[in-house]
Amino acid sequence: MVGASRALLLKDGGKISRALSDFLVCPLSKQPLRRCQDSQSLISDAIGVSFPIIDGIPCLVPKDGKLLEDQDVSKIENGADPSVVHSER
Amino acid sequence: MALGLGRALVRQWARRPGPQPLLPPRPPPSAPFSTDGDEFQSSRVKIFDRDLKRKQRDRAAWLMGGKDEFVDSVAENLLDRLEDCRKTFPTALCLGGSSEAIRRLLRGRGGIEKLIMMDTSFDMVKRLKDSEKNFPNNNFETFFVVGDEEFLPIKESSVELVISCLGLHWTNDLPGAMIQCRLALKPDGLFLAAILGGETLKELRIACTIAQMEREGGISPRLSPLAQVRDAGNLLTRAGFTLPGVDVDEYTVRYDSALELVEHLRAMGETNALLQRSTILKRDTALATAAVYQSMFGAEDGSVPATFQVIYMTGWREHPSQQKARRRGSATVSFEDIQKHFGSNS
Repeated sequence: MVGASRALLLKDGGKISRALSDFLVCPLSKQPLRRCQDSQSLISDAIGVSFPIIDGIPCLVPKDGKLLEDQDVSKIENGADPSVVHSER
Repeated sequence: MALGLGRALVRQWARRPGPQPLLPPRPPPSAPFSTDGDEFQSSRVKIFDRDLKRKQRDRAAWLMGGKDEFVDSVAENLLDRLEDCRKTFPTALCLGGSSEAIRRLLRGRGGIEKLIMMDTSFDMVKRLKDSEKNFPNNNFETFFVVGDEEFLPIKESSVELVISCLGLHWTNDLPGAMIQCRLALKPDGLFLAAILGGETLKELRIACTIAQMEREGGISPRLSPLAQVRDAGNLLTRAGFTLPGVDVDEYTVRYDSALELVEHLRAMGETNALLQRSTILKRDTALATAAVYQSMFGAEDGSVPATFQVIYMTGWREHPSQQKARRRGSATVSFEDIQKHFGSNS
C-alpha cells in the first residue's frame, strides 16, 4: 500500500531544482552526486549507492540509500574512480 | 591467550556481514561505507537511537500545533543574533529541530536569499514543504532535503550560514556534526546553534527517579544526558570555529500537569531516544511520577513548572579578516618598558 503510494508520488514530483542539487553531495563520501532520470534518484558513483528523490525531496540519510547492482558498480569502478577501487582493497 | 584471540577473531568474522535487511549482500568493497553493518559504527560510541529519533520526529510532524511559545522564543533569540552582524547571508542551511519556527520568524533577517531546510524525518520535511504556500511573503527561495546531521550531505564551502534550532543535542557525535557544519560553511560563514543543556527538565529527572525507586526499587535512564555549558565552548573550539561564543538562557514553562509536559515534549520530538532505554513504562510508575512532580514542584495554583536550559553557540569559519590573538612569544615590547613609560608617575 505504502509502496504503491510512493510510486505514484514518484511519478509526478521526482524533480529537484538545479539550484538545490548544486549544494548536495553524497553524505558518506562527500563526493558529487549524479542525477538519474530513469529511477528518479541521486547516485553517488564514488561508493555505488543511490538515494531516492521522493515527492521532490531528496532523501540523503545513509539508511535510505540503496546499493547499486553489481554490474553497474563494476562499470563505474572500471571507468571513473581508480583511487576508490585502490583504497578499498 | 592465543585461544582467546582466535575466538575473538571468529566472533568478529561471524559478525562481519551484519544485519542488512534492506540492502542486498555485497562483497567487501562497499563495507567501509555501509552504515548498516556493525563494522562502521563499532568504533564510535552510540548513545542515542537515531532511528527512533527519526520516528519521533515523524510523529512530531503530526502533533506539531503551529505556535509553541518556548520554541518560538528560542528561535527568536537565535535569529536576533543575525541582526547583530553587518554581514549578509545569502545562502543558509537550516538544520532539524524546530526549523519550522525559524522559517516563520525569519522576517527578512540576515539577508537570506536561499534557505535549505534539512531534517532527518521525511514527514517533517514534507510538512514543511506543504506549508510553504502559507508564507507568500517570504522573499527567499526554500529548498528541502532529508538528511542526517551526522552525515551532512552539503557541499564543502557552499553556504554562508548554518542555523540549528534545538536539534543537535540528539547527535551521537556532536563534535563530528559540528565539524561537518564548519566544512559546509564558506570562509567567514556563521554557525548558530541552540541546544538543550544539562539543567533541562531537572524536575522531571528528580520525579522520575523518586517514583521509580518507590514503585520498582531501582532506576533506569528515562531522560537523555545533555551537554553541560562548560562543554559547549570546548565543542566549538574542538570543531575549529573561530571567535566562539556561548551563552545560556533558562526558560521556565508552566503546565497544568506533568502529563501535559510529556505531551509537549512529544510534539517537539524531544522524548527519550537513548539506545539503552527501558522500553517498558508501567502505568503505575508513570502516574506516580506525575504525582511526585506535582507534590514536589507544583505551584499553589496547581500548575507545574519545567525548566529548559538552552545553550546558544556561535562560531565562525576561519577567515584572514577576523581578529585573532598573536602567536605566543611574538611580542617585541617588554612589559618593563611599558611600565617605565606609563607607570613612572604612579
